[in-house]
Amino acid sequence: MSTSSYLLRRVLQAVVVIVIVTIVVFGLLHALPGGPARGILGPQATAQQITAFNHDQGLDKPLPVQYFYYLNQLVHGDLGTSYTLNEPVSQLITERLPKTLLLTVLSAVVGLVLAIPLGMWQAMRRNKPADYVITTLSFIAYSTPVYFLGLVLVLVFSQTLSWFPSQAPQGDTLAQVFAEPQALVLPVVAGAASMIAVFSRYMRAATLENLSEDYVRTARAGGSRSRAILWRHVFRNSLTPVVAMLGYYVPVLFGGALVVEQLFNYPGMGLLFWTAAQSSDYPVLLGCVLVIAIATVTGTLLADIVQRVIDPRVKAGRA
Amino acid sequence: MTATQRPAAPQAGPILELDGLGVVFTTESGEVPAVRGVSLHVAPGETLALVGESGSGKSTIALAAMGLLTGNARATGSAVIAGTQVVGARESDLAALRGRTASMVFQEPATALDPLTRVGRQIAEVIRNHRDVSAKEAATEAVALLRKVGIPEPEKRAAAYPFQLSGGQRQRVVIAMAIANDPALLIADEPTTALDVTVQAEILDLLRRLAAETGTGVLLVTHNMGVVADFADRVAVMYHGEIVETGPVEDVLLRPSHDYTRRLLGAVPRLSVAEADKAAPAAAAEAPDTEPVAELRDVSVVFGRGKNAVRALDGVSLAVHPGQTLGLVGESGSGKSTASRVALGLIAPTSGTVSLFGTDLGRARSRARRALRAGIGVVLQDPVASLDARMTVGECVAEPLRVHQKGLSAKDRRSKVAAILDRVRLPRELADRAPRELSGGQRQRVSLARALVLEPRLLVADEPTSALDVSVQQAVLEVISELQDELGFACLFVSHDLAVVQHFAQRVVVLRGGRIQEQGPTGETLLHPETDYTRGLLAAVPVPDPVVQRGRRAERLAALAAGRTEVQA
Repeated sequence: MSTSSYLLRRVLQAVVVIVIVTIVVFGLLHALPGGPARGILGPQATAQQITAFNHDQGLDKPLPVQYFYYLNQLVHGDLGTSYTLNEPVSQLITERLPKTLLLTVLSAVVGLVLAIPLGMWQAMRRNKPADYVITTLSFIAYSTPVYFLGLVLVLVFSQTLSWFPSQAPQGDTLAQVFAEPQALVLPVVAGAASMIAVFSRYMRAATLENLSEDYVRTARAGGSRSRAILWRHVFRNSLTPVVAMLGYYVPVLFGGALVVEQLFNYPGMGLLFWTAAQSSDYPVLLGCVLVIAIATVTGTLLADIVQRVIDPRVKAGRA
Repeated sequence: MTATQRPAAPQAGPILELDGLGVVFTTESGEVPAVRGVSLHVAPGETLALVGESGSGKSTIALAAMGLLTGNARATGSAVIAGTQVVGARESDLAALRGRTASMVFQEPATALDPLTRVGRQIAEVIRNHRDVSAKEAATEAVALLRKVGIPEPEKRAAAYPFQLSGGQRQRVVIAMAIANDPALLIADEPTTALDVTVQAEILDLLRRLAAETGTGVLLVTHNMGVVADFADRVAVMYHGEIVETGPVEDVLLRPSHDYTRRLLGAVPRLSVAEADKAAPAAAAEAPDTEPVAELRDVSVVFGRGKNAVRALDGVSLAVHPGQTLGLVGESGSGKSTASRVALGLIAPTSGTVSLFGTDLGRARSRARRALRAGIGVVLQDPVASLDARMTVGECVAEPLRVHQKGLSAKDRRSKVAAILDRVRLPRELADRAPRELSGGQRQRVSLARALVLEPRLLVADEPTSALDVSVQQAVLEVISELQDELGFACLFVSHDLAVVQHFAQRVVVLRGGRIQEQGPTGETLLHPETDYTRGLLAAVPVPDPVVQRGRRAERLAALAAGRTEVQA
C-alpha cells in the first residue's frame, strides 16, 4: 500500500473512532445521576428554576437530539460554553492544553531517555545484582499510585530537603511556566516514574529477545564486537515493539496528568477536567474527552508511522 | 576480491585442529556433556563433513570452534584455528579471528540476517570489521561479493532488506558475508537443510567452487548423507558427543566400519534412479477402480485480492483411493500444503469442487462437514508445535474422541487411547506424560495416534518426518504403512523428500507453482519422468554414494549448461 493511501485510510479510521468515543462519552455523562443544574444554581434553586435552566441549555430534549446539536456545533468549531466558568470551552482548552502537553511530553521524553538505555543496560547484565535491583525498583515505581508517589516526592524533596517547590509553575503562558524550571521537576518526575518502570521492562525484554536472535550470532561470526552489535543491530530491532507500545501509552500519560496536575496545582487540562467532573460541567468534560481521544488516536497513528519508517517489513505488510 | 589482500594462508599444518575437545552445558538438571574428547583436523583446501543425528553434538563442535557457544556452555580441551587457540580465548581475540581467518554459514537463512539492515550493509560490516577501507569501498566490495555468490542485479539487491529476498538468496548473502575476507576456514552448519533440493544443489555448487578457488578448508556439518557424498573429501561420524568413525568419504559411505555408521546409512531412504521398478511399492501401478476417498476436481485457490492476489493452486485435480498412498511433492511455494488443506476442508477452494467420501464439501452443511472431518486424521510436520504442551499425551490422543464421540465413557476412552498407543508402538505408560518429556519421534507417533484414534478413512500427513532424524523417520514411516495395511485408510502424503515418497507412496503428484506438472504411479513418474521440471528435481537430489553422486553432478551440470546454450541460441 502506498504511504499516502495508507495515511488517508488511517486518518478516516481515526475520525470514526473519535466520533464513536464522543457518542459513548455523551451517553455515559447523561446517564450519571444528578445534573448540572443543581450544581450551578445552588441548593436554594426552585424546581422551576431548574426546569428553566434545563430548557435553556436544551437538556430537556431527547438524548439523540442533544447529541445531534452537539455534533452540529462541533463541526462549526464550537465546543459549547462551560456552565460554571462561563467561558467558551474552546478557549479554556486552548489556554490549558499547551501546559498539559508540555507536562506530558516532558514526562514522556524524560521517561524514555532514561528507560531505553536502562532497559538495554539491564539486558546486558541479565540476572546480575544490578539487574535485580533495577527490576525491583521498577516494580515499586510501577505499582505505586501516582498520587502517593507525588506526595512522597513533595514530602522528601520539598518539605524536608527544600530542593524543589511543592507547587508547579502557576503562570498562564508557557513562557511563564518555563521561567520556573525548578518547579517543573517534581511534576515531571511524578509523571515519568511509571513510564521509566514500564518502558525499561519492555526494552529489557525486547533487547534480551533480540540478543538471542540468529542474526546476532551471524554478526559475531563476522567479527563484529558486542558493542557494535548492540547499537547497530539489537537497538533498532528492539525499538520497534517499544514504539508500538508508546502509541498506546498516550491515554495513560493523560490519565497521569489528571492526578499530577491536581496534586501540584498545575492549571492544565487535567485540573480543568477534575473541576468540571465535580460539577457535571458537560461541555467542558466532553471537550476534554474529545481532546484526549484525538491525542490517543494521533499517538497510535504516529507510532504506526514511525514503525513504518524504522521497519521496512511493516510497509510491505510482512510483519 | 582485491590483490592487496592477504592470500589464503597456504600453510603447512591443518587450518583447524581439534584435540580432545569437550563441551559441557550447564542446565537446571545439572551438567550435560554434549561433546566428549573430539579430535579432528581440516587441512587447507579439503572438506571434512561432520555427520550425525540431532543431539549428536555436531553443531556444538562447529560453534565451539568459532568460540560462539552460548553462555551456559563450557569448552575444554583444544581447538586451534590457524595457530590461535580458541578455547578460553578472550572475546576481542576471537572477534579478530571471526569473519577473517574463519567464517561460518548457518542453517536458517530466514533468521540469520538482521531484518532491519540492508544486505549490502551487513556484508560491508564484515569487511570493515577487519580491513581499514572506507564505507564506500566496502559498499562496492559488497556488490562485487553479491555478484560472486550469484545474486542477479547485485547493485540493486545490495539495497534490499533480507525479507525481500528468497531463502536461497538470503543464504547466498550469508555466504557472501562469510567469504568477504577470504577466510582460510569455512564452517558450514547445515547450510542447505532449510532449502529446496534445486536450491540446495546450487548452494553446494557455489560453496564447492568458492572453496576450490581460494583453497579454503571447509568443515561441513550436516545430517544429509547425500550432501556428504556430494561435497566431502573426508567424513567424521558423530554419535552421542563422540566421533565413532573417520575416513575418506568413499570408505565411510560405501564401506562403513562402525556399527552405528552402518545403521545410520541403512536408514537413509535412497532415491532409485532409472533402474527397473524395484523400488516402487508393487501394489498399484494403475489407478484402482474404487471410489476415491478424497477428490479434488479442477481446484483453484486464490489468496488475497487485486494485484496482491496469489494463485496458490491452479486447476488441480487429484484423487486418493482407499488403502493407497498418494504422494504430493514439490518445492516450497508449490502449493502442496495448500492442496492438503483444501482436502481437509480447512481452505475453501476459489473454484472447483472437493469431495470427501463421496460428499461435496462445498454443499455440505457445517454439521455434516464436521461429521466428515471425523473421518480424517492429520499429522503435521512439527512434532513440538502440534501437541498442546499443557495436555498429557493421553489427553492429546483422546481429544478427537471427546469431540466426535461425546457419548463415550471415560473408561472406554482410556481403553481406546491405550489400544491406539499400542498400535503406534508407544508404551501405554506414556499416556500420563507431558509431550515435552518425549523425543521427537515419540511425539510424532503421539500425533499419529491422535490422527488414527477415530479410525479415519483418510490420513493427511504434511511433511510428517521432515523434522526427524533418518532412523526415527524410518520407524515412523514403518508404523504408518503397517497401520495402513491393517486399517486400510487412504493416505495423502505431502513431502519435499522425493526418496521418501518413492518408497512410501504408490502414486505421486508433482506440483509446481500451484499447477500439477505430472502425476502417475510412483515407479514410473519418479523413475522416468515426462517433464523437464521433474527430471531437474530428481537430478538435484544428492544420493548418498559419492561415486554415483559425482556422475549425477556432472550430468546435472552438463544438462544445465546445455539448457543454457539452448536458451541463448
